Amino acid sequence: MAGGHGGTSGEWEETGRRRDLRVAAMVRVMVVDDHPMWRDGVARDLAEAGYEVVAAVGEGRQALRVAGAVLPEVVVLDLRLPDMSGAEVAEGLAGMSVPPRVLVLSASAEQDDVLDAVKAGASGYLVKSASREEFLEAVRRTADGDAVFTPGLAGLVLGEYRRLAAQPAPAEGPRLTERETEVLRLVAKGLSYRQIADRLVLSHRTVQNHVQNTLQKLQLHNRVELVRYAIEQGLDAD
Amino acid sequence: MGIERPFWRAIAVFRVASLLYAAVLMAQHRGYAEPLTGWLVIGVMALWTAAAIFAYSVEALRRWPLLVLDLLVAVACLLASPYAQGAQQPGEDTMPVPATWIAGPVLAWAVHGGRRLGTVAAAVVAAADLWLRIHGPDAPVLINGAVLLFMTGVVVGHVARLAKRAEERMQRAVEMEAAQRERDRLARDVHDSVLQVLALARRRGQELGGEAAELGRLAGQQESALRSLFIRPASPLPAGVADLRALLMRYGSDYVTISTPATPLALPGAVAEQTAAAVGAALDNVRAHCGAAARAWVFAESGEGTVTVSVRDEGPGIPAGRLEEAAAAGRLGVSQSIRGRVEGLGGRVSITSVPGEGTEIELTVPA
Repeated sequence: MAGGHGGTSGEWEETGRRRDLRVAAMVRVMVVDDHPMWRDGVARDLAEAGYEVVAAVGEGRQALRVAGAVLPEVVVLDLRLPDMSGAEVAEGLAGMSVPPRVLVLSASAEQDDVLDAVKAGASGYLVKSASREEFLEAVRRTADGDAVFTPGLAGLVLGEYRRLAAQPAPAEGPRLTERETEVLRLVAKGLSYRQIADRLVLSHRTVQNHVQNTLQKLQLHNRVELVRYAIEQGLDAD
Repeated sequence: MGIERPFWRAIAVFRVASLLYAAVLMAQHRGYAEPLTGWLVIGVMALWTAAAIFAYSVEALRRWPLLVLDLLVAVACLLASPYAQGAQQPGEDTMPVPATWIAGPVLAWAVHGGRRLGTVAAAVVAAADLWLRIHGPDAPVLINGAVLLFMTGVVVGHVARLAKRAEERMQRAVEMEAAQRERDRLARDVHDSVLQVLALARRRGQELGGEAAELGRLAGQQESALRSLFIRPASPLPAGVADLRALLMRYGSDYVTISTPATPLALPGAVAEQTAAAVGAALDNVRAHCGAAARAWVFAESGEGTVTVSVRDEGPGIPAGRLEEAAAAGRLGVSQSIRGRVEGLGGRVSITSVPGEGTEIELTVPA
């Protein structure tokens, strides 16, 4: 998986260095939400917090077009768009030559959509009802290359691994290590990374890596599946 | 009911055709002693055919009086036959004057009221027909006509009923589809406008603080309530099976976070209800001991043939031995009511509590 969503810790460091070179350069953020009031509110919050809002758009296709031009580092993405699903937009963004990190902002009721978007490459998820502080913190962490996991997302990801494990050809699907399962379950139960680190006697960074890995394995699997599907379709077509 | 109309049209065609047949028989047959009476009967039949075709085409007139009158006219025409035949001996092939026309009301009754009414009408007409034959001098008693009448009543009644039912079902399906479309449209509209504004009000309220924060909180509650109205069941579960997720979602609020898989947690209906009630009791307990604004996390996942739900808070925790003390003192505390429910289902409860770090109650029930 090309760069983008964290990668191994080596990749993070590299990304971190790249950012350091820009020194005080502001993080470029794009907001994608079909509701103008909400979009403006989010953009204003981001600007006040010192981010450079490079674009604020209301449609998926437009978002992909504009993203190619303004090259944002972080995209704040609403899942309900008039023309495309959030997962399609996330996938389109992940396929860019310099893929931005995607923070999904959505309503709590759209569980399947959240999971699809995360599998397609989004690296974080926050409910729209989150406070301004929680939101800005999530954007900051996304910009830093961290996965932003709510308890809700941890529950979805655990459920997805279980679903994959229950499928007929289990040897091929991604697996969680015992430690990763343990960490994710604690995230789902609402513990902070700090609390998890204390309870499992791990470093904060290690907890973060475990969480990140669970997401990346899922995204990688998703991509492999997509490629396999494309090949099968292509072969059938010949 | 649109489906009935073709039936009534078909009956109208039958009435006219059978009237012509009766007239042709009357014209050809020189065997009648009183042709004038015969033609009089044919005249009445013609008048009634015209009247009936008109009356049955009007939905408001398709009622009992018309049906009864229809049957009476047919029976009367049938019973008038001997007067046309006079004293002359009818041959074996002599038909009563109305001939096949008498099946008209049987068809009408069958279409209007189904198999049973069709049979009743057939019985009345057949009885009159048989009565004639029995009283006719020397004529063999043929029951062919009666059998055909009964078959007509039963078969046409059955088919008409089936067609009506199929049409009703079709109608219902169309209505349901329209309702679902309308619901989807509403959900979209509400999502695009009301929910966004409520979410924004809540957010701005939080930032402004004070009374605005309270207003924002109220807006947020309404937002969650509205959203939950529009959750669409992903795939229908078999009867008697419930998705525990849907029951748990009801507990979600600003203070209570619910985490579940994206796929249904299918449990037998009663088990799901009891499990959700136990979770509710645990959450009540959190509020009672840690305050109304205490945060709690509910996490549900499926295991090997089980479903596990944990309820965690960050309150003061339960001091060691407290639960046993309460039980010993004869107080059936919350843990008892939770244990009672879950163990009644063949499940397990484990309570982990560290003073100062909160409490976690884990319920495992068989799926």
